Amino acid sequence: MIITLLANLRRAFGPWAALLLLPSLLTLSACAPDPNAAAEVRVQVEPGELVFHPDTPPVRVTIINEGQRPVPAQGFRISGNDWAAFSIVEPLNPRMVMPGRSMSFTIAADAPTFKGTAVPSVVQAEREAAEELDPEAYREGQAVLEFNVAGKEHAVPLRFEDPSWIITTLLPGVLKVMLLVMGFIMPLASLLLWQERKQSAMMQDRVGPNMARITLGGITIRLWGLLHIATDGLKMFFKEDFIPRRAHRALYTLAPVMALMPALVVFAIVPFGDALCYEHLFDVVRQADVDQCAAGRGGTPLQVAHIDIGLLFYFAIASLATWGATLAGWASYNKWAILGALRASAQMVSYEVAIGLTIVGALLVYGTLEPHALVHAQLESSWGILLQPVAFILFFTAAIAETKRAPFDLPEGESEILGYFVEYSGMRFGLFFLAEFIEVVFVSALVTTLFLGGWALPLDMFGASGFAAPWVAQLFFTVAGAGIAATGIAVWRASKHAQFVGASMLAIGVLHVCVAIYSLFTGWGTELPHLMVVVVGMLTWGIKVFALCWLQLLIRWTLPRFRYDQLMSLGWKGLLPLSLANIAITAIVVYALSAAGTITPAPAPGEDPATIANQPGAAP
Amino acid sequence: MTITVKKVSLQRTAADQIFLPAILRGLVTTARHFFKNTLTKGMGDVDTIRYGEPDVHVEDYYPERFRGVHRLMHRDDGSVRCVACMCCSTVCPARCIYIHAEDRGGDEEKAPKSFVIDELKCVVCGFCVEACPCDAIRMDTKRHMHPTETRADAVLGKIDLMKRGTTSVAQQGGVGADYRSTDPKADPRFEHDRR
Repeated sequence: MIITLLANLRRAFGPWAALLLLPSLLTLSACAPDPNAAAEVRVQVEPGELVFHPDTPPVRVTIINEGQRPVPAQGFRISGNDWAAFSIVEPLNPRMVMPGRSMSFTIAADAPTFKGTAVPSVVQAEREAAEELDPEAYREGQAVLEFNVAGKEHAVPLRFEDPSWIITTLLPGVLKVMLLVMGFIMPLASLLLWQERKQSAMMQDRVGPNMARITLGGITIRLWGLLHIATDGLKMFFKEDFIPRRAHRALYTLAPVMALMPALVVFAIVPFGDALCYEHLFDVVRQADVDQCAAGRGGTPLQVAHIDIGLLFYFAIASLATWGATLAGWASYNKWAILGALRASAQMVSYEVAIGLTIVGALLVYGTLEPHALVHAQLESSWGILLQPVAFILFFTAAIAETKRAPFDLPEGESEILGYFVEYSGMRFGLFFLAEFIEVVFVSALVTTLFLGGWALPLDMFGASGFAAPWVAQLFFTVAGAGIAATGIAVWRASKHAQFVGASMLAIGVLHVCVAIYSLFTGWGTELPHLMVVVVGMLTWGIKVFALCWLQLLIRWTLPRFRYDQLMSLGWKGLLPLSLANIAITAIVVYALSAAGTITPAPAPGEDPATIANQPGAAP
Repeated sequence: MTITVKKVSLQRTAADQIFLPAILRGLVTTARHFFKNTLTKGMGDVDTIRYGEPDVHVEDYYPERFRGVHRLMHRDDGSVRCVACMCCSTVCPARCIYIHAEDRGGDEEKAPKSFVIDELKCVVCGFCVEACPCDAIRMDTKRHMHPTETRADAVLGKIDLMKRGTTSVAQQGGVGADYRSTDPKADPRFEHDRR
């Protein structure tokens, strides 16, 4: 397939193929060190702005010396309106910061100072004297942390606020749910309805669905039958809604909802990006700022529910999905349906054990159950697929079994006219169908989070403020652009209907290469606006999830189904012992490494080693 | 000739038991087909005839001897070639051809007063075409019987059948280049025929 791709590339570009290599060559030449860098003083302060809420523990400020020579840091003081409310926790003496190192100290805010009854600062008192202040309400406060590094004054704004529950939780929560469900899950799940048919056709040398079309203003749009998504949905809605005569009507109606709901609810724990800082959308921010936003101060984590027990929540909710299948089978008053339901519940219970135990290995390595923190832990060490390859394979297998699709589609048994939803028709059946595809998306999202580094690009090439170095940006854009362009040309040549799509892809690819060339001359790429970084992170996450969905469909249409005893023996005699062995070996290795001091166990939350000693910084 | 016995080990190797290498090989095979069919011109290995596409005429793909819906051929003067000899209705295994004969007048042969084919009964065997002595009935329309709203619509009469027909080039009365110009008995294929 690679040869086919290359052949297409060569046929499409001909001698011009060499031009594609040009940006990469120029990139290499741009890697020469800048002679002026040695004398330059480059100091970075993280975070750029400190936001405090009433219950915020002391916040750490880090000064990183990114230059080539030691710089003195001195004159730490807090000024501004509410200077009295903020304090530097440790006494700070003037000190030198060595190149490539950092110093850090913590700032605390005294929350009661901002309460209505407390004496506000002079300016604030004059301004709000006339207003009735609620004695229990906090007011906003501002101050500035100032210090002097190498003769240059630095000022870090300090902000105290007490936003309402609506601002911090409800509004972003609703927006994130809408973004995730309406903007990603539902479109992708409906796309999979069509992709399943089309991809299986392509894998089996068939044409697949391609006849749905719409004519707008004389132009017929077909898009490889993409419109079958709409026609399938319409068909579902207009089919007869059949309920067997002796079925339990209430449970029969409830079952599809019970199948769909858990599949959607578990998405709450999946982080689809790092964090969004409301007030710095077009600024360049650092990881410390993003972390502050992820903690909910001045921003929101791109994850619907930031809960510490994240993965346990997933197990709890995913177990509920068994209800949908079991209720559907039982309420249908059909012996084949209840047989399917029995199979479904037995299979899901069996594989839930394997799923839970396979994750334990990853949890031992990363030391957290919270998916957002798990992704960060992966970025700090390396991706889960590298540290826990066995767990990855076991988890992926067990998770596919949880979705009840081939080769694990025993509960459904299309070929045996057996299954928990044999009696369902119309949109009720459609809900089961949709739930299945949402589970496919969810499995992909969870594998991405646990093993594939979530929203991050590989090899630390893309951080909170942009690409790691200009040449990384150039390389990325060149390779991505060439890939997109080559695919676009292949699509263009593949069929007449696809010419427009192929041309668009080609244009996007060429645009990427143009960006790479632009970066080559300007060094662009290391300092990107926050919004762009967030969008790139979400796109990366989406592409990973989509690729895994594709892989799942590939597996579903490649492997034949198991016999029921084979299914059970794979679950109990294959995955379970292997995952136990994985836990044991991982535990031994983690213990040995931490005893040897090679790795340090993650600090418990709240425990903040407030040291002002020189630490190895994040600077290169 | 020596008989060689190829011994096949039924013992599964470790690679067989963990399934993964075999699964990966399978996935690579299907993925290769997927990418070949999506990214190469003319959809790679897909050789499906795109029946139903606006520029695809399925008649172009049917073999010459394809048997479709019937038609009745015309004489030079536009009248039906059929002489109501009843060969086709006699040979028809489905009994779906109904002919009422009438006198054509003058010296000529009979003609069908009505010629009815029930296409729902027809088994599309083509015996009627083979039995016809004067090239009157043919099934070379390269069209399937189209679906109808009522069963009665699928019963085709003489007008329907002749609408599809054209003037036959075969000479009426056995003169010309058709199979009757040679003695059938001379054909060795007919020697065993005891009828």
